[in-house]
Amino acid sequence: MEKVIEAKNLRKVYGKKSAEFTALRDINLDIYEGESVAIVGKSGSGKSTLMHLLALLDTPTSGTIKIDGEESTKLSKKQLNKLRNSQFGFVFQQFFMNPKDTVLNNVMLPLKIAGISRRKRKQIALDALKIVDLESKAKNKATDLSGGQKQRVCIARAIVNNPKIIFADEPTGNLDSATGDKITDLLFDLNKKQGVTLIIVTHDEDLAKLCQRIVRISDGKIIADASVRKDTAKEAMKRLEKEAARVKKANEKEAKS
Amino acid sequence: MKISDIIASANSNLFRNKTRTFLTILAVFIGSFTIILNSAINTGVNDYIDKQLEAAGGEGYLEIMTNEAVDTISSMLQSSSEVREYREASGSDQKSTYITDEQIKKARKVPGLESIDLIYSANPEYIKAEGSDKKFAVTNLNLMPRGNVNLDTTAGRKPDANTDKLEVALTQAYVKALGFASDEDAIGKTVTFAVPNTVECYMVSSHADCLKLVDAKVVGVQAPSIMAAGGMRANLALNQKIYDLATAGMPDEAKNHAYQATAQVDPAKIDDIKKELEKIGLSAMTIDDEVGMIKVFFDAILVVFNIFGGIALLAASIGIINTLFMSVQERTREIGLMKAMGMSSGKIFFSFSCEAILLGFWGSVVGVIFSVIIGNIGDKIAHESFLKDFPTFELVKFDPLNMLIIVLVIMFIAFLAGTLPAHRAAKKDPIDALRYE
Repeated sequence: MEKVIEAKNLRKVYGKKSAEFTALRDINLDIYEGESVAIVGKSGSGKSTLMHLLALLDTPTSGTIKIDGEESTKLSKKQLNKLRNSQFGFVFQQFFMNPKDTVLNNVMLPLKIAGISRRKRKQIALDALKIVDLESKAKNKATDLSGGQKQRVCIARAIVNNPKIIFADEPTGNLDSATGDKITDLLFDLNKKQGVTLIIVTHDEDLAKLCQRIVRISDGKIIADASVRKDTAKEAMKRLEKEAARVKKANEKEAKS
Repeated sequence: MKISDIIASANSNLFRNKTRTFLTILAVFIGSFTIILNSAINTGVNDYIDKQLEAAGGEGYLEIMTNEAVDTISSMLQSSSEVREYREASGSDQKSTYITDEQIKKARKVPGLESIDLIYSANPEYIKAEGSDKKFAVTNLNLMPRGNVNLDTTAGRKPDANTDKLEVALTQAYVKALGFASDEDAIGKTVTFAVPNTVECYMVSSHADCLKLVDAKVVGVQAPSIMAAGGMRANLALNQKIYDLATAGMPDEAKNHAYQATAQVDPAKIDDIKKELEKIGLSAMTIDDEVGMIKVFFDAILVVFNIFGGIALLAASIGIINTLFMSVQERTREIGLMKAMGMSSGKIFFSFSCEAILLGFWGSVVGVIFSVIIGNIGDKIAHESFLKDFPTFELVKFDPLNMLIIVLVIMFIAFLAGTLPAHRAAKKDPIDALRYE
């Protein structure tokens, strides 16, 4: 499997001199395509800072981050923006929706930023809303939705640009457990069915356990990094089938040429 | 993000907070309304003054007197404390104040001078309409000179300087008095002037017997004027005829004395021609020399009003800055989110600038609409009251190009006002913006 994110010796320091505070140190982390990774830690541990660095929203004080093998510092601002716009999807605890705008407009925002035409982005956004099962609410004002619905809209917004990686910052933090489970199902579904790499920042152990891999952070350091869950028999079968289909396809292609 | 999308979102963002946007637009509106209405009044009044100036004489039109006559007039006007250089008169004082044949001959040779006509004073005693016995005193019958002189008419045309036919333009007051149904009705009708013959009236006992009658055709009715050049207008032929009737029988030495002349010259050479005429002993003045001051005075008033409009716009700009700062503050998270999603700082700057420009745009467009409505209502009211006698005076005249320029300038001012908040929005750090509670 390919590395989508490769972080080496990351260090992040806030403030200056006497007020200096090291939020992260000695971070080495590789994230592979199609993985689901939980970054777990208490509040103030540096987990959000790490996510911001990985999502290229912030720059490390020292160390390097490679996205698809390319070093982030070598990218121009324009390339960086384009990368975030086309490859990343974001889901936040506080939703960050435009409450007075319609659901559809909220979902279309990344496409609008990408400069996609009006008609096209509407179609794509409706398709994304279909995935989260909120197609019927497209014309509603975002403020009229329940918390769970809002987070589903946010997921639709996060996947609307067909991203490689979804960064989810406490995606269930504002939701009750029943709705939270729905959101989790949705996220892992995307991970499994569409192969989207999922990076979840959370302090919720139950949510973290659903991921293939847990990275634990404390006081700005990675204290544990392990795959915690083997595939269930059913999932293993699925994976095998998928792999078989891929091999079959490749063989056919070869035969043709 | 496409520019059309940025503009569309900027507009919808503005109307998310209706009250605040409305109040800011109102502030811009007050400034733009004042300036647009002012500029319309400026155009209207200046147009009217121009029209009036054309009636008194346009480009290349000169009024000419002898230097001696000018000296005499100016010595009367000047305060006694001022000392003027003595200039020897070329004969008796009386003789030198009228223009001599020799001067006219010399003047005709000045290059660039197209025509020169002497103005004889023509003072008929009364006027009456054909078929009526009602007579009306003539207080003011002026010459309609040759050359670049227009007449602001409500009907018909100006009297023709190049015809032998006797033509006159009436004023609206005479049209009414002489019993014509309307201005148009008067055109083509014949009126009779009675001219007293100087010699006969000196000798005969009954005044009525010395009056000579002359018929003239009404060719135009002139609009009321605020300028001195009012009164009925006779063409050169009529003016000459009346003068001839008045002076018939007088000795030649006492006849054909004119104190004034009018000339039409090539406007490009006007300064040289003035100097040449000065050498002959003639002073020439353009209309701008005489009445240009009126315009300057009026412009000064409008400048003051425009300053008021400018101050209102300045206040509105501060309003725009304030509105946008509030908007940036409120939408901190949205800005952070958009930046996280890959929107560039430049586009963020542009989208907030756009909001400022749109505030300017809407304010000035509403200003245009209201000033056109209010201006036209005001114009109507004015013409029903204090401008009743001046139908050709458009108090407000809207020039589309002018209004477009004003709208664009206001949009630019709004843009400048918006740069400060837009810059603040553009440099927000996405993480801080997302953390912002």
